Amino acid sequence: MSSQANSVAMAGAAGPVPAAAGTGPRPGVPTPPAGKRADRERFQWSSLSLLAPSLVLLAVLFVIPVIYAFYLGFTNLELVGPNAVTWHFTGTQNLQRLWSDPTFFLSLRLTLVFIIGSIVGVVVIGLALAMLLQTAVAPLRILVGGIVVIAWMMPAITAGMTWYASTTASGTFGTLLGMPNSDFLHHEPLLIVTLANVWSQTGFAMLVLGAALRNIPREVLEAADMEDASRWQRFRLITLPLLRPTIVTTVLLITLISLANFALIYVMTQGGPGNATNILPLYSYQQAFEFNNLAYGALVGNVMVLICAIFGVIYVRASRVRT
Amino acid sequence: MTAGVAAPAPQAPSGAPVQPPANPASRRSMSNKAISNLLLTVFGVLFLLPMVWLVLASLDANATWSVEIPHLTGANFAAALSGSDLQSLINSIILSGVSTAIATVCGALAAYALSRRRIPWKGPLLLIVLFLTGVPLAILIIPIFELFSDLGWLSILPCALFLAVTTLPFEIYLIKNFIDAVPQDLEEAARMERAGTMQILLKVIGPLAMPGIAAAAIFGFVTAWGSFLIPLVLITSPNQQPGSIAIFGFIGAAHVQYGNIAAFSLIYAVPIFLLYAISSRLFRGGFVLSGAVRG
Repeated sequence: MSSQANSVAMAGAAGPVPAAAGTGPRPGVPTPPAGKRADRERFQWSSLSLLAPSLVLLAVLFVIPVIYAFYLGFTNLELVGPNAVTWHFTGTQNLQRLWSDPTFFLSLRLTLVFIIGSIVGVVVIGLALAMLLQTAVAPLRILVGGIVVIAWMMPAITAGMTWYASTTASGTFGTLLGMPNSDFLHHEPLLIVTLANVWSQTGFAMLVLGAALRNIPREVLEAADMEDASRWQRFRLITLPLLRPTIVTTVLLITLISLANFALIYVMTQGGPGNATNILPLYSYQQAFEFNNLAYGALVGNVMVLICAIFGVIYVRASRVRT
Repeated sequence: MTAGVAAPAPQAPSGAPVQPPANPASRRSMSNKAISNLLLTVFGVLFLLPMVWLVLASLDANATWSVEIPHLTGANFAAALSGSDLQSLINSIILSGVSTAIATVCGALAAYALSRRRIPWKGPLLLIVLFLTGVPLAILIIPIFELFSDLGWLSILPCALFLAVTTLPFEIYLIKNFIDAVPQDLEEAARMERAGTMQILLKVIGPLAMPGIAAAAIFGFVTAWGSFLIPLVLITSPNQQPGSIAIFGFIGAAHVQYGNIAAFSLIYAVPIFLLYAISSRLFRGGFVLSGAVRG
């Protein structure tokens, strides 16, 4: 508080001093009180040297490549062969190919099923666990909470391995269900891969939603009890609306993570059998680095960015609509 | 404020009438408790099931994909910690360590500037950084591959540099939030004593924002450690490949060694568990700065 007042006073005192030559006020940018100020409000050239490493790295290895990838999607660049050296802009040729590519549309459908299945699974199970943990006895709470968090922490590659081993022929699940020779991963690949993803993301949702649950004021729930609200009413009319912002954020993060969860699926199925789990990140990789069509792979990547953007807009709108 | 004061008042009488006639209600809540404990146990078992194989097979001398009583042996772990397997773990440490160091140092400097300094277009700049945290990395891999293969950079250190860049946006955000919470007064006091920017960063901001910087570093390390697609594409030499790629190679091997896979996968997960334990301790300690500016 006092430092704020100080700086204002100092700025006022410094006001009459003529502005430094050359540093004219930038049009459009709200100018700070005229004249040199001794506090932090002045732009210092050393700021640039602090920012420079990050800005240069982000520009050269992140922003420009993203723009470049967008352009690459409309060329005929290939991994090997003559088109690897002399490639050029080909207009909408790749787009036409995309439009008549049944594998792409299959991949798009699989991606949506995978993402929506993961979101529903993660949020429902995560919320259920968070609520159950609140009422559970201490040892059980620590044990189960620990197991779920460990599943979440596991590197995607390890999670993929454990699920591959558990669901392949003679794996744990088949043995337990009395069908030791049935290869679940082969028969229901998309379901198993989605389950594996839910398994490895739920811990995150559980922790975040658990923290949000603890922030719900007790009085509100007690008031509902006074009004003889049923458990379901309490959940639907109080808990859920209060958790809404947290749920929206969780869903957004789960979407991004699921769409980026290349390793999990690649380890388990490599997109197969056939194309049964060939979601967009895998299809993009397959086209670029297995079929050598770098440009077409980049175009598929562009579609992924578009999907992320669409989901992003939906979530922003969902979080703005307040009850 | 007024609501906060008013709230406890009706609460005291409200507790009283609910409690006494609670005999049937408390029995109901007892059975509710039992049901929720039971449900939780079911969830716990379901979450545990896939891990059972991992643990048992890693200890089993003749493991297969199926869950069996293990013929106890430490040979799997010994094998996972020797030869090319050990090399891939060392590669993982180099890859993640270098990437974390680059991202955390660059991120901390940028976060300080963004938190404290007056910077033109700061708002849009922060928005761009935020936007970058959400870009799917699968789209970046193709242009970066083009760039790195033209430069002849398809090896471990450039790959670490790129991994650093992918974690940088989030690290900047994380550290900035912590520096925002460090009181200005401390820094002004240091400036009064004619401390330079570097001194302030190292001796004032650094120690005080350490939980945030450590959290960012842990985030960076965990992300790099778990990365798969990026080293798969950007590292061509097999003896520079990190552990994540090595695990994948095990499955495709002509003679699959199940026990080895399980042991190596477990070992590969250990650093993550350790770092998680450290970071949760960091945050449990709380973030006590209020004492520093008193008086």
